[in-house]
Amino acid sequence: MKHCPTCQRTFDDEKVFCGSDGTRLVADAPTAYADEPSAPPSSWPSTPAEPTNAWPASPASPRPAPRDEQPRAAESSRAAAPPAHAGPLERIRCDWCQAMNEGTALSCRACGAPLDIKNLISESGWREAPRIKDMTEIHFGASTCQVEGEIVPVAEINLAPGDSVFFEHHVMLWKDDRTPMGVMPLQGGIKRALAGMPFIISLAYGPGRIAFSRDATGELVVMPLHPGVELDVREHAFLLASHHISYSYVRIKGLRNILFGGQGMFMDRFVTGSEPGLLLLHGYGNVFERFLQPGESIIVEPGAFLYKDATVTMNVETQKLTTGFFGGTGMNLARMTGPGRVGIQSMYVHHHTD
Amino acid sequence: MTYDHAAQQGGPLHTHTCPWCGLVTDGTRLSCPACGATIDVESIVTNSGWTELPGRRDMAKLQFGNSFCQIEGTYVPVADFHLAHGDGVYFAHHVLLWKDPDVAVTAMSLKGAWKRLFAGLPLIMTQAMGPGHVAFSQDAAGEVIALPLQPGQGVDVREHIFMVATLNVTYDWFSTGIWFNTRSGDETETHYPLGQFMDRFYAPQTPGLLLLHAAGNVFVRQIAQGQTILVKPTALLFKDPSVQMQLHFEHPAGSTRSWRSWGERYLWLRLFGPGRVAVQSAYAHLHDNGRNITRHSNATRQQW
Repeated sequence: MKHCPTCQRTFDDEKVFCGSDGTRLVADAPTAYADEPSAPPSSWPSTPAEPTNAWPASPASPRPAPRDEQPRAAESSRAAAPPAHAGPLERIRCDWCQAMNEGTALSCRACGAPLDIKNLISESGWREAPRIKDMTEIHFGASTCQVEGEIVPVAEINLAPGDSVFFEHHVMLWKDDRTPMGVMPLQGGIKRALAGMPFIISLAYGPGRIAFSRDATGELVVMPLHPGVELDVREHAFLLASHHISYSYVRIKGLRNILFGGQGMFMDRFVTGSEPGLLLLHGYGNVFERFLQPGESIIVEPGAFLYKDATVTMNVETQKLTTGFFGGTGMNLARMTGPGRVGIQSMYVHHHTD
Repeated sequence: MTYDHAAQQGGPLHTHTCPWCGLVTDGTRLSCPACGATIDVESIVTNSGWTELPGRRDMAKLQFGNSFCQIEGTYVPVADFHLAHGDGVYFAHHVLLWKDPDVAVTAMSLKGAWKRLFAGLPLIMTQAMGPGHVAFSQDAAGEVIALPLQPGQGVDVREHIFMVATLNVTYDWFSTGIWFNTRSGDETETHYPLGQFMDRFYAPQTPGLLLLHAAGNVFVRQIAQGQTILVKPTALLFKDPSVQMQLHFEHPAGSTRSWRSWGERYLWLRLFGPGRVAVQSAYAHLHDNGRNITRHSNATRQQW
């Protein structure tokens, strides 16, 4: 039998993830690595000697603290404190992606977030995306990603045989001569071309190395997606995704949202099925995330929007500004309404008002 | 960094005077509550006398009135204001990053709308009133400069540098008086290397807070009475109102071409003390059409 370390429900041995919260199940047998699944997914993670990744809760039970609680959370470490009794089963839960790590780890093996640095959460409830230390290694499937540099970080992928990543071709920085490449078949090519979205999504297969970066100062946002997650991302903001993630796009609803929302007509949508995957975004400037409770709203500059859970709705509102004879102008802002995560970038393209 | 030690009953009293804004605190804090400058780190001064903008810890808090501002991020910092009831800020509307839905945003009328329109300056300034959160950021990697203004203190800021100010800081603008004309045939063009206007912020009666955003790094220098320094016009960030400005042309000797044609001249902004001046390390390229200069504002000239 196996049990879920989060909700403690028990499951049959053939199950890998908890059906209610998505956490990786652990075997009941009390061996040194008893929490290692007996049948790990083919592509996620790791050698048996390495620690297990436990996956975050489902969108219905989100991981970030509610807004009112977050300032207090700023005083805590980014990782939950390990238990007082140190032992071979000691684990640290990453506060960013909820993966479980060895007690001695300095950075999360699933998302690279430093485990020895406090969370940076503003009084208003925005959490800074973890600043990944130079040369940090991230594991996905049998492959690794090393984050290099800090001002315009590079994601260098060492693809294992059988693994692959997809990306927009303009973010490719370099690759090994023999790293195989391909093209991902996409639906709605004409629509995408007309909407200014990438017509071709490229694929790189293992074995081989390939590296990616974007064209401005910013942060790499590492988002391990647990099974069953749907994430909407501003177009052209994604750097790469592992092959475990399915890629599509959603048309933004409403003419006002299209014309004044600053997103264009489409957003990228990344969906995980039964397996977790790795998604890397590049945010311009600094990146902040906030969790909105059901019905809670926040007004953001449309150009600053970076990503959101599919459960978050986005609608453009016009703020009219008048000062008599000269003041016939307005400000278009996006109202994001929870539940779910919202990510913004601090350097953005300002979209002209009407 | 300045620590003041005074022996008082039973032991020494340690106070700290912020070298950036002059606020005296009890020395127990890690950052200045008025400007956010880190107070346990030495000021960095170049051999030539420029002082780097004091470091600021991520999430540093600046207190003003009953409200506070938190500076978040390091590459493109965000100024996140928590406005108390009755407190407010004004800003150019394009710097708004996010706000609580309940925070009211209204327009603040400005005088001289026609002139501003023709000068390419924003016609309206936007203001937000508390209670609630509202946050601002600019669109370039750089630094947020916090300038707490004491009563009676003012500062002149180059256009488009201003980010946000508290409502007790007055806003005005004035003509820079820095210009030159070029002519090609019958066509005459007027150039404003510093912009046609500069913003002037002033705290008349109560202390106020002014936030600017600079591209790249920021360096500040105090110019003594009678001292002068040449800077790239587009690198100037702000200056004390007591600092005077004029154009300065330089050109090499021995050239057969007139110094008035571009390529044979260098254009500078000459600043005269006394007062404080600040420059940014990432500045816009100064465009010159290469035509002959026919007239210009008061300027000095030097041949190498």
